[in-house]
Amino acid sequence: MTETIVEEKKVDEKWEPKIVAFLCNWCSYAGADLAGVSRIQYPPNIRIVRVPCSGRVNPYFIIKSLTDGWDGVLISGCHPGDCHYISGNLVARRRFAILHELLEFFGIEPGRVNFMWASAAEGERFATLVKKATNIVKKLGPNTKFKKEWC
Amino acid sequence: MEEKILKKDEIGKLYSEFGSEYNFYAPVKKKGNIVFEKIENPDDIKLDYLNSRIPPKSILFPQSEVLFEYSLDEKDVEITDRQDLDEKYMILGIRPCDAYSYVLFANFFSSHGNWKDEIYLKKKENTTLIGIGCNTPRTTCFCTSVGGNPFNKENMDVFLRDLGETYLVEAISDKGKEIVKKLSWLSDANDKDVKKSQELAKQAEESIVTKMDVDKIVNTLETSFDHPVWDEISEVCIGCGSCSYLCPTCTCFDVIDETDQYEHKGRRIRIWDTCQSCLYTLETSGHNPRDTKIQRCRNRIMHKFSYYPTNYDLLGCVGCGRCIMVCPANNDLRDHLRKIEKIEKKEENVVV
Amino acid sequence: MGIETENKEIEIGIRENAKKLLSEKQVDVVIGYSEGTVPLSSTPIIIRKEEDVDKLVWNNLCYINIARYLAPLMPQLCDSEGNSLKIGIVAKGCVGRAVNILATEKQVNLENIKMIGFNCNGNVNRSRIDLEIGEKEILEILIVDNDIIVKGKDWEQKFPYDEYINELCKVCQVKSPSATAESCVGECQELESIHDEFADVAEFETKSAEEKWAYIKEALEPCTLCYSCRQACPVCYCNLCFVDQNLPVWFGKTTELTDVIIFHLIRAFHLAGRCVACGACSSVCPVGIDLNIITRKLEEIVKKRYNFTSGLSAETVPPMMDFSMDDEEEFMLEED
Repeated sequence: MTETIVEEKKVDEKWEPKIVAFLCNWCSYAGADLAGVSRIQYPPNIRIVRVPCSGRVNPYFIIKSLTDGWDGVLISGCHPGDCHYISGNLVARRRFAILHELLEFFGIEPGRVNFMWASAAEGERFATLVKKATNIVKKLGPNTKFKKEWC
Repeated sequence: MEEKILKKDEIGKLYSEFGSEYNFYAPVKKKGNIVFEKIENPDDIKLDYLNSRIPPKSILFPQSEVLFEYSLDEKDVEITDRQDLDEKYMILGIRPCDAYSYVLFANFFSSHGNWKDEIYLKKKENTTLIGIGCNTPRTTCFCTSVGGNPFNKENMDVFLRDLGETYLVEAISDKGKEIVKKLSWLSDANDKDVKKSQELAKQAEESIVTKMDVDKIVNTLETSFDHPVWDEISEVCIGCGSCSYLCPTCTCFDVIDETDQYEHKGRRIRIWDTCQSCLYTLETSGHNPRDTKIQRCRNRIMHKFSYYPTNYDLLGCVGCGRCIMVCPANNDLRDHLRKIEKIEKKEENVVV
Repeated sequence: MGIETENKEIEIGIRENAKKLLSEKQVDVVIGYSEGTVPLSSTPIIIRKEEDVDKLVWNNLCYINIARYLAPLMPQLCDSEGNSLKIGIVAKGCVGRAVNILATEKQVNLENIKMIGFNCNGNVNRSRIDLEIGEKEILEILIVDNDIIVKGKDWEQKFPYDEYINELCKVCQVKSPSATAESCVGECQELESIHDEFADVAEFETKSAEEKWAYIKEALEPCTLCYSCRQACPVCYCNLCFVDQNLPVWFGKTTELTDVIIFHLIRAFHLAGRCVACGACSSVCPVGIDLNIITRKLEEIVKKRYNFTSGLSAETVPPMMDFSMDDEEEFMLEED
């Protein structure tokens, strides 16, 4: 049993993960925009979905992304205290805390699903964290566990 | 037809004989439950069991089954029907009650000739049943009250009787006769064996303790739709549906579609459904004819003991007792039927 | 004191309290447990008359969480106008916890509820007993002193009680309902918090991600997605469960591994901070799946992060209905 697990992790060097990123409109999406405008390079593996607030992110989105075959999920919102809707990100933080613990408990590799805060002025930070997340997911290999099989 | 003897340690030989040609299913013990599974290793076969947790309906009518697949390209939809319907199935070790349930399945899936479910019917046509009689029925079994018997061989192709060290083998149908002919290595049975099997059959029938007057129940139910007894019967039901899932005659299913939006393909699947679910009769208008627990519990009993006998002259229950054993709220069907037995039928309430 | 003696005392207490509540018209009905018709089970029962209180039993086979009948409120517990009757509930600790959670979520009005509390001494682990007995029919099960005696037609087997109760019962810290004196008669307590080391969860967490996945996969393999666990759960009362939604369809309903695991994962997520660890989900499973480790993990998460244990009071706000600027965020991605 252990042997097959180690083999699965030998990932093809050329494989690129596909990560879906839910960015809150007011902070993180603007931060990503700033990174783009400032010509700061970051990996193209993320596909961005704009949401009004990180509190909009329903845990179903995260899990459905995993079943649809996405290799990683990234959720980014405003820093606590800066939410455009006052407390949306605080609600989200509790949700993510519990979801994170449960996903890890069920055996989803830590690092597939990531949460972060990035403000509209933090283009550099956004790029750094996206780079970090992409590296983590790349090391984990393709998502084989939750992906629905079509036989 | 001459009876044969199969030694208990020769069961593996049955698998070697037929395992490659047929999808060979038999009872195995899995995590404490007896279930019917496709056999890879004949040592897993367990024939000395009381009754299986999941009924053998799951072999020909699985919990989730693909009906067809489709794929989309720019202009066209391509539908791919099931390609595996010509495969043959052999079910070893099925009990008489569960074998009778296939009669009800045939009725359901062919709707008196109006619509035929090709998927189920083709599979059933290619299925051979090697049944086994019940030497020790459970106290919850009541097959004799519903027209059955622990040694009923009617719906089998080949019937086995457990004589202790050996099985008495009898071919019932033409398909069964072909099977037994292939097993030329079986020894002949002698009169002693046959006599022993008859004694065991008699003992088994006499050991059934649960007896009910089902004819009277069917009759009484004709006019008991609005009787307050249903309040009592449905009181503690939690609507879990375990009874339907484990019932060998329950055939209701839901149809769902699954799509892979990225690759433009999908499939239509049927999954088991239960009339005990509050969503079962929910219509798209929002109206729900059975939105109370009382109506749903009543429906289950009426369906099996009233609508089926009235419409198809078949009783919808085989007396296996699984619903009695598994109900988490201990809703005992025997108690319910006895309550109904005691109702006095009022002539003026007959609904035409 | 032997379990047998404890049970007798508990029964007497329940019946006396039920009789008192009915005769003083403090309640219209009492819901409790009665003797089952098959071994290893008991039937919930609604008592409407004083003379019927002797039907109430306590025999360590009382698996259903009776708070399940309160939300949505069973028609037999309503009067002719659809308003709730005054209900007495035979409440072991976890039933009391469930009632408190339902009261917090405004599904139940505590003014209509009177809990008949007692010190629960656990439920027999029926799937474990079934597994050990094998393919023989159990005809009778008794508690004698501190043993479980299981009898068949011509055989008998003994099991030590303490070892063969449900895993959740073994680590239970809330054996009698935690409720105020107004809503409880009999044995009750007013707990503000419990102390639990969660050693079993810590042990599970030492496994690697692959091992955890393999464990969950193996445990959920027989699941037929019958939803009995959801139906038996006292806090699963949604009119439309997420898995039944079809505008949009979020998750599949087939018995493929992905669909099975996701149903249990998301149901667990919805129970965070609400699950009362009654074990009804495992007891009612028709194929005997025991996922009590997930229940324990849910309790551990909210205890560790928010110092919260569900159902100790109807006043405290559950963690998922609240937020704070000071919540921990150690799991968030940060720059190096």
